[in-house]
Amino acid sequence: MKRRKFLKTGGLVATGAFAAPYILPSGRLFARTGSQLAEHVVFVLFAGGVRQQEAVSQRYLDDSQGVNIPGNILYNLLEGDPPDSKIVYGTTTDLDGDTPIPKILGQTIQKQGVLFKEVLSRTTGHYSGLNGLVTGNYYYTQGLKSKPTLPTIFEYARKHLGLSATKTWFVGNGISNSVPLLNYSLHEDYGVKYGANFLAPRITFGDQGFKHLSNAKVYHPEEELDPIYQMKYFLDNVWLASGKTIDTINNTDEEKQDIKDFIKEMFNKKSAGTIAMPPVSDNSDLETIGYACEVLKWFKPTVTVVNLHDIDGCHSNFTYYLQSMHRADHGTAHLWNYIQTQIPEMADNTVMILVPEHGRNLEPNPIKDENDWLAYDHSDDNSKRIFSMMVGPGIDGDLVIGSESNRVGIATDAVPTIAEVLGFKDDVMNAGHIDVKAKSMFDHL
Amino acid sequence: MKDFSLRSYPVKWLLLVLLLPFLLIQCRNKHKNSVFEVNPVQSLPPSAGKDKQKTTQQFISILYANLFQKALSANELVEITNCITSIGDKETAHEIVISNFMNHSDVRIPSNTEMRDDVDTFLDETYKRFFVRDITEAERAFFKDFIASNENVTPELVYFAFTLADEYNYY
Repeated sequence: MKRRKFLKTGGLVATGAFAAPYILPSGRLFARTGSQLAEHVVFVLFAGGVRQQEAVSQRYLDDSQGVNIPGNILYNLLEGDPPDSKIVYGTTTDLDGDTPIPKILGQTIQKQGVLFKEVLSRTTGHYSGLNGLVTGNYYYTQGLKSKPTLPTIFEYARKHLGLSATKTWFVGNGISNSVPLLNYSLHEDYGVKYGANFLAPRITFGDQGFKHLSNAKVYHPEEELDPIYQMKYFLDNVWLASGKTIDTINNTDEEKQDIKDFIKEMFNKKSAGTIAMPPVSDNSDLETIGYACEVLKWFKPTVTVVNLHDIDGCHSNFTYYLQSMHRADHGTAHLWNYIQTQIPEMADNTVMILVPEHGRNLEPNPIKDENDWLAYDHSDDNSKRIFSMMVGPGIDGDLVIGSESNRVGIATDAVPTIAEVLGFKDDVMNAGHIDVKAKSMFDHL
Repeated sequence: MKDFSLRSYPVKWLLLVLLLPFLLIQCRNKHKNSVFEVNPVQSLPPSAGKDKQKTTQQFISILYANLFQKALSANELVEITNCITSIGDKETAHEIVISNFMNHSDVRIPSNTEMRDDVDTFLDETYKRFFVRDITEAERAFFKDFIASNENVTPELVYFAFTLADEYNYY
């Protein structure tokens, strides 16, 4: 009898020991399908329509205003010397924007990683561009104020990696247009239950948030919150009989409490002036970056998407566009530097990917700014010219792929690339919802 | 003895003969093959009439009116709606907004004594205030027992639970 009991117990223990590591939080029984390059991905949607001429081509005023002054104003991202005159993109010392923001990184992202110099954006609109970046497909059937119809990278990650909701975050620079809707799709196989947490920190922690969110009453967890939830669960059970449910992204009670604690702490840090803002934080993108750093530090998400948008001011103000582009470079560098120096769990364990949702026109519109420089919209073929970058463990450094005459890659490559970094590319590709032209950036190397 | 012969009452006998078949037909068992049943009546939960989910604006306006017994200004409605939109988890966002409301001095909540002195009335009014319906006996039994057995439960906590409930998101 003792021997039989020993064998039975030993068998159960052995089975448990083998099976337990593969039972993921979602109940998924099998681990990821591929090898993993890093445990975290930060995807920067850069940053509201960047004209290739002022970005990768480093033409500054040369290809836009007929002034022969080239130069690189993205000098944390790209190799190249900055302009030597008509400096308007920095902070103000004597004249508006006359002082370039000091470089943050000792080595550019280009030197540390891979630059795809000429990439296709199949769209020239913000919604379709952002939708394509987060879903890996340009297919959409609707316009603004609608959720994607195909699964987003958040849903892929949560479903196939078994991630909890607070392991995926979409940090937006605002709540206009469809930005708050991009955290999950309406796809029947994925959808809200695999959605990401969304945060538009400039609203949540801005004046409106301070007025309506910062003075939350603190309830005792056992003596007050517990009875509240018990009564709520009773009421919800009664409501279940109606057959109607509330769509939620399924944060657990612990995760909800964690989010509330995070929000409370951010109000405290804001009052103390200790939010992890970039050295210069004088526009909305840089503020967004500061709070994105805090999200990363607090939650250490697996997938974080940060949306920047100030560059779109180029519709009416070219000077502001140059300033915003320079700040997007500054902010992205701060984000990367913060991960490497302030979040030990993510340092050397994070891949950062950077892709604009589209470019801008070749020809200007008639609007002139205070420097008499013409503004640019986004609607022509030049608006389909973009670049992309990736950096992190397992990624070659100082590698430039493609050129103006040799386009390599498409914006929708980002989703399969993230999936490959996290080790579940096959799941994503086999789901059958990715653009047929899209493939992992690693497949282009 | 009275004579009932045909000769004495020919008309009456004639009428009787003519009516007899009708009387026989009327006397047969019409329900011989009938089956008696109960008409089916659909039983619905008390909240069955609510099938539309509130928009964020509707939720906030109604919440404010329920808690403060007055209307929210248009500006504040826009601001609070923006705050909720800025947080992806709507349940968490609602909870934060409600707990901010509860910190206002002018929120209209009965005292703990009023609730415990007359729990039935408190429950009737709470269901009407937040769910716009009558309480069922099962719900009354649960809450009476819950309030009686939990000293920490105050009207504020009950109101908080109602505003967080799924049913409160529908109308």
